[in-house]
Amino acid sequence: MRATLIPSFVTTGRRLSDRQKDIIQKFAALGSLLVLIVVFALASPAFFSVNNGMTIALQVTSIGLLGIGATYVIITGGIDLSVGSVLALSGVVAALCVKELGFAVPLGMGVGILTGALCGLVNGILVTRMRLPPFIATLGTMLVARGLALQITGARAVSGLGDAFGELGNGALFRMVTIGDDGFPTVTFPGIPYPVVLMTVIALAAAFVLTRTVFGRHVYAVGSNTEAARLSGVDVSRIVTLTYVISGTLAGLTGCVLMSRLVTAQPNEGVMYELDAIASAVIGGTSLVGGVGTISGTAIGAFVIGILRNGLNMNGVSAFTQQIIIGLVILLTVWIDQLRNRR
Amino acid sequence: MFEGGGGAVLRQGRDGETSEGCWQAPALRADTVLALESITKAFPGVTALADVSFDLRPGEVHAVCGENGAGKSTLMKIISGVHKPTSGRIIYKGVERRFSSPLEAEASGIAMIHQELNLVPHLSVAENIFLAREPRRGPLIDRRKLKADAQRLLDRLGVTIDPGCSVRTLSVAQCQMVEIAKALSLNADVLIMDEPTSSLTEQETTILFRVIRDLQAAGVGILYISHRLDELKAIVDRVTVLRDGRHVSTEDFAATTVDAIVSKMVGRPLDKKFPERTSTPSDETILSVTGLTRRGAFSDVSFDLRRGEILGFAGLMGAGRTEVARAIFGADPFDAGTITFEGCDLRIRDPRDAIAAGIAYLSEDRKAQGLAVGMPVDANLTLADVAGVANGAGIIDRSKEADVVRHYIDLLAIKTPSPRQPVRLLSGGNQQKIVIGKWLFRQSKLIFFDEPTRGIDVGAKFAIYRIMDELAAKGVGVVLISSELPEILGMTDRVAVFHQGRITRVLETARIGQEDIMHYASGCGERV
Repeated sequence: MRATLIPSFVTTGRRLSDRQKDIIQKFAALGSLLVLIVVFALASPAFFSVNNGMTIALQVTSIGLLGIGATYVIITGGIDLSVGSVLALSGVVAALCVKELGFAVPLGMGVGILTGALCGLVNGILVTRMRLPPFIATLGTMLVARGLALQITGARAVSGLGDAFGELGNGALFRMVTIGDDGFPTVTFPGIPYPVVLMTVIALAAAFVLTRTVFGRHVYAVGSNTEAARLSGVDVSRIVTLTYVISGTLAGLTGCVLMSRLVTAQPNEGVMYELDAIASAVIGGTSLVGGVGTISGTAIGAFVIGILRNGLNMNGVSAFTQQIIIGLVILLTVWIDQLRNRR
Repeated sequence: MFEGGGGAVLRQGRDGETSEGCWQAPALRADTVLALESITKAFPGVTALADVSFDLRPGEVHAVCGENGAGKSTLMKIISGVHKPTSGRIIYKGVERRFSSPLEAEASGIAMIHQELNLVPHLSVAENIFLAREPRRGPLIDRRKLKADAQRLLDRLGVTIDPGCSVRTLSVAQCQMVEIAKALSLNADVLIMDEPTSSLTEQETTILFRVIRDLQAAGVGILYISHRLDELKAIVDRVTVLRDGRHVSTEDFAATTVDAIVSKMVGRPLDKKFPERTSTPSDETILSVTGLTRRGAFSDVSFDLRRGEILGFAGLMGAGRTEVARAIFGADPFDAGTITFEGCDLRIRDPRDAIAAGIAYLSEDRKAQGLAVGMPVDANLTLADVAGVANGAGIIDRSKEADVVRHYIDLLAIKTPSPRQPVRLLSGGNQQKIVIGKWLFRQSKLIFFDEPTRGIDVGAKFAIYRIMDELAAKGVGVVLISSELPEILGMTDRVAVFHQGRITRVLETARIGQEDIMHYASGCGERV
């Protein structure tokens, strides 16, 4: 033990500079997040409230979950464009299982999530075994999955799914309701929506897997230098395939959550969500070259996008202007990241 | 002060033949197209060139010889504008020049034909020759003139290549001719050829030499780099020898011999460069390779390696040494042959199979193939066996990993400010030690060291030699692939000499000299 303690004590001198850089970068993202919150809070009193906080968190769940998957894929040097479509396919599969086949809701959603995992597996096989560029492979599955979702629903929304189907998306943990003297219920605390709980748990687990497990180490190694990883005995194909499976599975889960929130399965749901997911990862410091990225960064990125949308909405900024602003934010953050890397 | 002195010398030299100062200024003669004066180039941690001066005359073929690492490539890169010298002057056509890019050098008439040819495979021959200098008619490319100009150049070279065909359909020799045509189209006065014959057949070499003589007659000065000393006598006028980044000699080729050049190339004191060998090979064979063949790369390669033995792989670049090592390691496939490791036939389809058996390969290109340079020291050290510092569930035990990393940093004396330091910020020698540490932690029983000391300073080289010796002393089988003959002679027990994909001879190191290895490496047949 001594042996490990003494040198790290001795060597902390130069180590700080790199550490500091890391911290500064984290704070840069976090700082801009805080600035956004302050600005919006000043602009609109309704913004800074528990209720709106929960709303934002709920809105962020889908970008967040997809962003976690995107982070895994992008760290290996890949990209997953299919998640928006996979989300829709998984959601309608879950809904059809419940409605047409009479499955119990958890089982139906399980099938939906499995559909997402399968789509991810297909992506992984296309990229590793068939050696297609990730962009093309997932572009293909994006079209196929969307087409399938429209096909099996006849392009119609699947509704009449029952209350149980809506529980995952609309329920909340620790919701506190007091019945007043007049007999009417009053909500004292809105509770933490289940999707937010789910996202938090998954984000923590994803961060742990990425930083603390053999698999996570291999993910970084593959992205940092594929050839060196292969020559060090890392099963590159397996690692890459698994990251697409993770991305697909999370897309499947996101699909179930979204459809549950609406209590309706929309085959048109999730269009362009893949770009939000990629944007949140990139704003959070994940490098498209591979080898670099963190779940905490992606979470910050997802909240930056979510808060921008929410705050701009509350201030009556049109959807078009919102797009312009978010586009500029993406360009700005990535440019800053480039500057930092160039030194 | 020195700069001023050099300038004065130059001016005087122009006027007459007088020269002043501590050295003869070579730039002053009327028949000099390019003169190098005290060129020094320092990279972080390594001085690649120190005070190199010589000149090139128009119409001369000037060979630049030296071992790998002697500084030839660096020097050529300085002349062609890739690198800037740390100090010293380049006098081109009587004017001091500092080229800021290869483009600028090219535009001034200095063209370089790289060992790895720089052609765009999907464009046609004509388009490649005039790339970025296409003849235009208004905004459009004048296709007819493009083709006609290219045809004229190719005719001048006397080669039959259709200027309209795509470069990817050409052989290496034909690509070389296209590169030369490109140089001609630049009206180059200085042409640098880096190992131009390394991938040519004898017949193609003959054509190349005829072209070189034509260029020579046209007054082009040619700097010719080659490891194949035997072929120099066919074309070379003068020869300059570099050693360890220093200029050794420049003389008329007729006034010297190949043996004299070789001894100048390698003539450094061998003492202290290598540690005393403490290990002796056991009788037990650890690796036995029979009839290993991959079409187009190597054929019928057979050798044995004993426990505790250091076996050298010597030969010219492209002779198949790396390819054989990579095939045994599973990094590349092979067509035929058997690999017996520790008495068992080994089926290797992937590096994972080889690593599981205890075979390791240290790549010659550590940055591209050995290290994840963006990742920290600790992650690189445990990369080949992350599971070895993790529990059964695949969760990394951080304190165990820290202990392991600390152990190897101490054992190999890796200089790093912290185990979390990204590897790219370390020196070449320390990077190489990390790759070695990675394979030590994997408990490898057989290690291929492919050019392990390339680009590493002398002190770190010594440390790496000592590690190799210690490994052998512990019963590890070591294969040392090296183009540096002193290294082969200083470190190995036996040497397998490669020539064009075959092992021409396995020699007992104690009984041979560099000339013997060079002899078999150039495929000259039996030595008497």
